[in-house]
Amino acid sequence: MELLKTILYILLYPGLIYCVIGGLILSGIDRKLLARMQKRIGPPILQPFYDFFKLLGKETIVPRNAAKKAFLAAPVIGLISLITVSLFIPVFKFSPFSTYADLIVVIYLLTIPAVALIVGGSASGSPYAGVGISREMVAIISYELPMVVSLLAIAKKVGLALNNGVMTFSLAQIVEYQAQNGPLFTKISIIPAFIAMLLVIPCKVGSLPFDIAEAEIEICEGPLVEYSGAPLAIFKLNHAIKMLVMTSLFVTLFLSGAGTGILVVDALIQFILIIIVMFFSITLLKAITARLRVEQTLKFYWTYPTALAFLSLILVYFGL
Amino acid sequence: MFEKLIEKGLEKSAWLYHLNTGSCNGCDIELVSVITPRYDAERFGFKIAGSPRHADIIVVSGPITSQSRDRLIRTLAQVPDPKVVVSLGSCPRSCNVFNGSYCVEGPLDKYTPIDVSIAGCPPKPEAIMAGLVRAVEILKEKRRAMK
Ligand code: SF4
Repeated sequence: MELLKTILYILLYPGLIYCVIGGLILSGIDRKLLARMQKRIGPPILQPFYDFFKLLGKETIVPRNAAKKAFLAAPVIGLISLITVSLFIPVFKFSPFSTYADLIVVIYLLTIPAVALIVGGSASGSPYAGVGISREMVAIISYELPMVVSLLAIAKKVGLALNNGVMTFSLAQIVEYQAQNGPLFTKISIIPAFIAMLLVIPCKVGSLPFDIAEAEIEICEGPLVEYSGAPLAIFKLNHAIKMLVMTSLFVTLFLSGAGTGILVVDALIQFILIIIVMFFSITLLKAITARLRVEQTLKFYWTYPTALAFLSLILVYFGL
Repeated sequence: MFEKLIEKGLEKSAWLYHLNTGSCNGCDIELVSVITPRYDAERFGFKIAGSPRHADIIVVSGPITSQSRDRLIRTLAQVPDPKVVVSLGSCPRSCNVFNGSYCVEGPLDKYTPIDVSIAGCPPKPEAIMAGLVRAVEILKEKRRAMK
């Protein structure tokens, strides 16, 4: 029974099927909202599904000077790590696996898709991919710092209340704290970290002002340039799931609470909150900005979001 | 069922790769106008892809110049099957006003079979849309023939 439940969790709800369907629908909603903001009719919400199935039906070309195994394995590794992250993120109080992993594991696992992109790009042996890889590395360096510092602020804040003043990285405890004291974003000390994380999401998922690694117009989608057919489909899926997982993590960190206790309702509320977060952090930014240059991205992340995150950390230490 | 889904996908999401083989830029601008809010080709799922490896439909504009001839042949070889070649404007079909120039090696059908040709100098956006919709039908037929 226990085993059956675990398999169900892995395959169905916080796992594979939810990730694939939720991620693709989320990116469909994103494209539709973006189109409406630009006064277009826009593609149907199911468009990412069509793209996905079409790519599955296309021929897969492996370039002659590519490292074949790494080239084909990279997207799958990214997909697996993203689904694993999704298993560890609690949906309100529902968290089947959160005793096995804490925030640190989630941070590491969230880096793997970016690394998979780098591995796949370098295996394809294209100069455009080379440029894309170096840009992806810069992106990782730039968003990682504000993200980790704002997570530290949360860990300290929760630790002060629930863990005798020692930082806690347990996701279950973060949810527990919010169930007792209301969502974290209502606390004055956490508001700067909230804004910093909101700014980190677009770079993490590679959407418009910060999509330096996959700039279609400059470097033909960078690391993806040589991919076609099924591996490309999986990379596009990774992109969609990354959006789902990042916004879901954000909701759990800042907007969570006790929930209603009924799983279906909680999941629905979580998804609605995800759409709202996605609207502000991804879609709106995408509609109103143009792409930054590489060094502008680095400079942006190491100034404003990092400063906000540190401010938050300091405020937490002052006990606000 | 899987086949059906793939076919539906092909019908609803064809990605374009635009290849300029020495056009005067008139056709290129008209193609770009198709993805503006006014015509919004994205509602049919058309998207301009950055790399020929991602493309389903290759849109060629311009008479083939000697500089671009090799690039044309190489780019066409890089597109995964099934693919459709669309000639945009009068230039790829007849070399138009550039015919007879020392550096023009067109027309396009010397190098590849053309599936859809959109006439005009430059063609209207409506005509381009109609041509692209026709190209999607041919794409589906090609996929059926591939099996
Ligand atoms: S068909 Fe006319 S508009 Fe188009 S590239 Fe040729 S000359 Fe220019």
